[in-house]
Amino acid sequence: MNATYERFGRTDLPEEQQHALRAAVRWEIFTLGYTAVSITLVAFVVGSSQSMKTAWIEDMLSTLPQIVFLIALPLVRRRPSKRHPYGMHRAMGIGHLVAGVALLAVGLILFFESALGLIKLEHPTIGTVSLFGTTVWLGWLMIAVMALIVVGPFIYGPPKRRIASVLHNKILAADGDMAKADWQTNAASIVGVLGVGMGLWWLDGAAAIFISIGIVLDGFRNSRAALADLMDQRALTYDSSTLHPEISRSLSALRALEWVDEAGVRVRDIGQVLHIEAFIVPRDENAGARRIAEAAECISATSWQVQDVVVTLTDEVPSHATTALATRSDQTPSD
Amino acid sequence: MRRVLGAATAVLLIGAVSGCGMAIPADPDGTLDGVIGGELRVGYSPEPGLIDVGAEGPTGPLADLVQDYARSEGAEPVWSLASEETLVDALDRGSLDLAVGGFTDKAPWTDRAALSRPFTLDEVPDPAHVSVMLVPAGENAMLSSVESFLDAEGLT
Repeated sequence: MNATYERFGRTDLPEEQQHALRAAVRWEIFTLGYTAVSITLVAFVVGSSQSMKTAWIEDMLSTLPQIVFLIALPLVRRRPSKRHPYGMHRAMGIGHLVAGVALLAVGLILFFESALGLIKLEHPTIGTVSLFGTTVWLGWLMIAVMALIVVGPFIYGPPKRRIASVLHNKILAADGDMAKADWQTNAASIVGVLGVGMGLWWLDGAAAIFISIGIVLDGFRNSRAALADLMDQRALTYDSSTLHPEISRSLSALRALEWVDEAGVRVRDIGQVLHIEAFIVPRDENAGARRIAEAAECISATSWQVQDVVVTLTDEVPSHATTALATRSDQTPSD
Repeated sequence: MRRVLGAATAVLLIGAVSGCGMAIPADPDGTLDGVIGGELRVGYSPEPGLIDVGAEGPTGPLADLVQDYARSEGAEPVWSLASEETLVDALDRGSLDLAVGGFTDKAPWTDRAALSRPFTLDEVPDPAHVSVMLVPAGENAMLSSVESFLDAEGLT
């Protein structure tokens, strides 16, 4: 059983990452269960409040990262084969993109729906329910349910962020980010419903717009990051904030070899693990297979994330390869 | 920081709501305020066995129910007769407070009027017939008042 957590493709996971991966699976399953309960609870009270409906759909969408993570995981564990010589690590990137685009699309639909409701001056109707013989305004139940489920993201959000950095997993990072936005969604829907209760009918639509903007931004950020990785941009950290430290680590490892004159690397993130191509200009002519293997090993030893290393001897390092050790200007992803 | 702000806003809102003794839900257009101790502007469209046109206003169990409701709020019903669509228009414009007739919980007017919870009346030709009353959309105090009355009468 444990064997399934020990490997990503051809990479053996260190103990810390194995633990993190196990924890990640547990948290993702816990979140799915929690969200299933909250979706069911909200279903009973959703009524015709636009902000409740938007928050409800946001709840459903927030399960996308967990689902794609759990689907992609068995795929990325497979060893590379003749047919899939790079392994199936891209499954994570594809899942990331699918989740991002879904968020973006639904966020936009909800935004326009809410804006249209406001423009058409639609007054949201929230009636009553008969509960154990008393007539109760449904709004109070909505607020109670939302206040109840608002705590969830505080429980599972922070550990996901932590695990994402250990595993270098962008879906987990996105998931943690969305959890951070989740409580704002629920709080906004409470404000919307309270507004309706106080006769401020527009507050419901305004809250719905606020929530949908959050969904659109999530979708946009995630789609952009996933696309950039699928298009083989230079590897960045798990939160896409700075240059991946492996780039400078592998460069210094190569520079430390006395037969290396000049070195450059191309590093791409193929989903949690890295694919590195190193270009080396040797000091003398007799650099052979042994030295190439030595260089590849030096790079592999720098991190568990190094999935695949190809070392090429060349007269000149190609201009698109990264040669300088990370400088300040190198730290920005836009560079 | 944002958490603290959010929590503070929530506490302030709840404090404001409960502190000033504001009734929740409230009507954006004050329908119920006009009804209590005043006039209940009721539109009706005849439905055999439920509400019929009589010599002195509508008759039938649904008409009686509306009379009882008006009495419970200390209001005097003012009846007007029209087709269902015209009634919905009038609710939408705010010139009616309540509409009754052959409306059921399948009524297609949900985006222009608020439907009460369904109720069933005794002494009607088809006891399985499920009725609803219509109030102006978003007038949640009015809707709550009507539904509370129906609950108290044990009809829902």
